[in-house]
Amino acid sequence: MTALAIAVFVVAYVLIASDRINKTLVALSGAAIVVAIGVVGSDEVFYSRDTGIDWDVIFLLFGMMIIVSVLRQTGVFEYIAIWAAKRANGSPLRIMILLVLVTAVASALLDNVTTVLLIAPVTLLVCDRLAINAAPFLIAEVFASNIGGASTLVGDPPNIIIASRAALTFNDFLVHMMPIVVIVMVVFVAMLPRVFRGSFDVDPERVADVMALEEREAIRDPGLLIKCGVVLVLVFTAFIAHGVLHIEPSIVALLGAGVLIVISRLERSDYLSGVEWETLLFFVGLFIMVGALVKTGVVDQLARAATEATGGNALLTVMLILGVSAPVSGIIDNIPYVATMAPIVSELAAGIPDPAQSQALWWALALGADFGGNLTAVGASANVVMLGIARRTDNPISFWDFTRKGAVVTAVSIALSAVYLWVRYFVFA
Amino acid sequence: MHAEEIAEDFPVVTIDSNALDAARMLAEHRLPGIVVTDSSGKPYAVLPASQVVRFIVPQYVQDDPALAGVLNESMADRAAEKLGRKTVRDVLPEHLVNVPAAHADDTIIEVAALMARLRSPLIAVMKDGKLHGVITASRLLAAALKH
Repeated sequence: MTALAIAVFVVAYVLIASDRINKTLVALSGAAIVVAIGVVGSDEVFYSRDTGIDWDVIFLLFGMMIIVSVLRQTGVFEYIAIWAAKRANGSPLRIMILLVLVTAVASALLDNVTTVLLIAPVTLLVCDRLAINAAPFLIAEVFASNIGGASTLVGDPPNIIIASRAALTFNDFLVHMMPIVVIVMVVFVAMLPRVFRGSFDVDPERVADVMALEEREAIRDPGLLIKCGVVLVLVFTAFIAHGVLHIEPSIVALLGAGVLIVISRLERSDYLSGVEWETLLFFVGLFIMVGALVKTGVVDQLARAATEATGGNALLTVMLILGVSAPVSGIIDNIPYVATMAPIVSELAAGIPDPAQSQALWWALALGADFGGNLTAVGASANVVMLGIARRTDNPISFWDFTRKGAVVTAVSIALSAVYLWVRYFVFA
Repeated sequence: MHAEEIAEDFPVVTIDSNALDAARMLAEHRLPGIVVTDSSGKPYAVLPASQVVRFIVPQYVQDDPALAGVLNESMADRAAEKLGRKTVRDVLPEHLVNVPAAHADDTIIEVAALMARLRSPLIAVMKDGKLHGVITASRLLAAALKH
């Protein structure tokens, strides 16, 4: 039984990593097999916190997807991006820096794939006006979205999974992840001229074309924008006030989504347009397969093996998690990676007496998985989506071009993370 | 009446022909759409005029309609400039419905139902696996109202 569960799991992961078959199909098929052969039953799948579908994650994603669907209808994102490009006075480097910052901030509030889908068309527009190749800008924005998304609980799906498993709050992420993300972003922006050398030559006459863009026209429904703004502020306030209100983020997101649906009066197709049913089902399948591994005790064994390898040394464990997470989640999608590692890290963390250092294990996992997503063109969903957009619009990004630059960015961000984790949780303990 | 009796000859463009020429043909003859054939002459797509209009809409505006108003008037006026360098294949919409084709012996109702379901103002008529002609909505109505 255990061997079968492991076999299903491994095969599923290989298929997901190879990207040959639709990954939702693979995850659900794997789940169907472990359920059909009786490794887990309906109680374990639907009602167990340890082995079942993590409903908090599913509904937080669902709620935020609806909120984003409504927000997209307002055009505010396009407004901000074009306004930023105009502020750069047509200098391509400054435009890249500003768009990268817009992307990073947006990515902290919304999920990375949505951010990429929002920033890509307006980037293509600006580059088209300037008659320069958009590919470097798109690549830089993907990097920024993976980095920026690491700073909040809702910014990146791995964080949502970790938060649920480790009972970490929105504020925990702000306090522990935001500082290192800010540091990495500053360094990343400083690196832009070197990483994307040669991408910034522009004919000065084209600058007027960018300055002539009318960003106000992007906002077609100011009333809706105000409603969205109010609801978003309330939602994030509720995230932050979790300690006082005791309402879980998933519930907050669902409530926010519900309010927006009612007050926006949008058509169902509009407010559901951003809900990625396939992604949600992918998570369901993944949770069931990982749950089967937990039930059969495989996770326990792996955790014990890891503890033996590190001798229970907290610093070594933290660095090991960081060092393994980055390359692995750079190659296989960071979501399945984190879904699998979460129960293992949970066991490891339980064995570390100092609470701050025990928590550092989770930050190491989050940083490794989030930043590691930049390593290759398939390391994160945002990367895949962006490459798809680029391919369709005559600005193709080659796998190796992305990976070459991604390797540099990932190495720098992981190095900074290692120093941060060491200094914050071990030197100044 | 059968489809083959109502069908007319219709200007066609091949998929590798110049997109600007195709758009120009539609504009000059005020056609309700164009028929695109592959290099062997087999119908590849039937595009209503509203889809041919897409040729001049940049891809990023098609992906993000909020950007449509952002381009100022002079940019909008020059929208068709890039078309000259593209072929029809380059600008065909991604989600192409299978060629809405009626059979030569279909009745007026069958053709009308097909047209209505696909919301297409023109339908290709196939006979013996080859393009026999095209029926436009106005021609179909004229035939139907004659009785």
